[in-house]
Amino acid sequence: MFKQPVSSSDFDRNFRSEVVKYPDASGLSACFSCGACTAGCPIHEVFPEYNPRKLAKMVKLGMRKQVLSSPYIWDCATCHNCEQRCPQNVKFYNVLNVLKNMAAKEGHAPFCWIKQTEQVAKTGIVFPTEEKWVKRREELSLPPLKLDGKKAKKIIELSGADKIKAEDSK
Amino acid sequence: MSKYALFLGCTTPTQTPQYEMSARWICKYFGIEIIDIKDFICCGINQINLSIEAGFLMAATNLALAESKKLDILTLCAACTGALSEATEQLKDQEIRDKINNKLQTIGLEYRGNVKVRHISRVLYEDVGGERIKKGAKKDLSKLRVAPHYGCHYLKPKSAFEGFEEPDNPKSLHQLISAIGARPVNYETLNLCCGGKVFPVSEDLVDSLVQKKLDNLKNKRIDAMVLQCQTCYLMYSDRQKETNKKYGKRHNLPIILYPQLLGLALGADPVKNLGLNLHTISMDKVLEKIT
Repeated sequence: MFKQPVSSSDFDRNFRSEVVKYPDASGLSACFSCGACTAGCPIHEVFPEYNPRKLAKMVKLGMRKQVLSSPYIWDCATCHNCEQRCPQNVKFYNVLNVLKNMAAKEGHAPFCWIKQTEQVAKTGIVFPTEEKWVKRREELSLPPLKLDGKKAKKIIELSGADKIKAEDSK
Repeated sequence: MSKYALFLGCTTPTQTPQYEMSARWICKYFGIEIIDIKDFICCGINQINLSIEAGFLMAATNLALAESKKLDILTLCAACTGALSEATEQLKDQEIRDKINNKLQTIGLEYRGNVKVRHISRVLYEDVGGERIKKGAKKDLSKLRVAPHYGCHYLKPKSAFEGFEEPDNPKSLHQLISAIGARPVNYETLNLCCGGKVFPVSEDLVDSLVQKKLDNLKNKRIDAMVLQCQTCYLMYSDRQKETNKKYGKRHNLPIILYPQLLGLALGADPVKNLGLNLHTISMDKVLEKIT
């Protein structure tokens, strides 16, 4: 992945503007590819294939297909170090969220996140009601949880997140 | 006396009730009144993956619920703290707020921008203060050398926390630990992320991060790691055993949440009040050193 030579004729020239029009990703235009994000990234350190600078560069070049279908965009630990290190105030965590949202709409979201959003629409939290912990709360004299997903379901529908489907293979 | 809506989040009440128990006990001890709002939902941080709007609306829902009761929010989870704090910052903008309220009204809610979000450690640090904590400490914890772990979302994004901490060189948890007489130890990977947020996508990534920190803490004569987030707790505690098997390691580092350590200092019952019996890694060695 990412190692095949690319031809500039395959670039989608509109991809960059498509991404930066989202307020969360607007800062990306200021990126000059210094790599401070990658140098401070804990995921990159244990898994060098995950490389924020490379992803940012690919977006700027217009490598739409490669970026949105890449499994790596889902590997961020959300620690915000990249943003903390960036001399240009690019909030790469937020840029990545925009990329994930775009990828999700095109069917590339990992099943775990789709399942989790479905769960939230049922109980309002990311877990189902399980007798094991309900009972334990009782034993520990902790108040019962209400777990009503009605509000969350409505919100998820309003945002269109309920329409997102997993890739066939996942 | 301060009063807050207690925001439990998803993981604490279901997977790590010991954090909730100890937090409730601590609040009672210091006269921090906490109100349970049954309608709270997930903070939305993971929903951002599929839809930034969905996540943001979920955070705003919780803020609106607290505001309707005229309460600020007290959080336990670092990630909830980050997500809700970021939302409060963004929702200071009238235009963004109007847009969000347009959608919130479909579930009968409105947010006017009046809620503060505070993690329990921050309340202890800023409102209760080291002096009161020190005064309450009945037990001697001076034999304990502990490694603080802040939790990324407790500190970052910096813009969400009104300059509360310096993310690269945080101090508040160190000082909270010192206040009860235990010794906070600095170490190279202090700011290393637990990886919890990528756990549903890749256990392998989390495991390598967890082991990296545990390897770093080895041979430093550390008695326990002290945390302030249940997701970090689950990664370092429950994944510690799993990853030991995977990497052929023998780490056996007790992991404790700050309200539990504080509770021990204040004389709380380790089992009845703090749930230390629920830990997957035995706390006995820690308890032996407290007199």
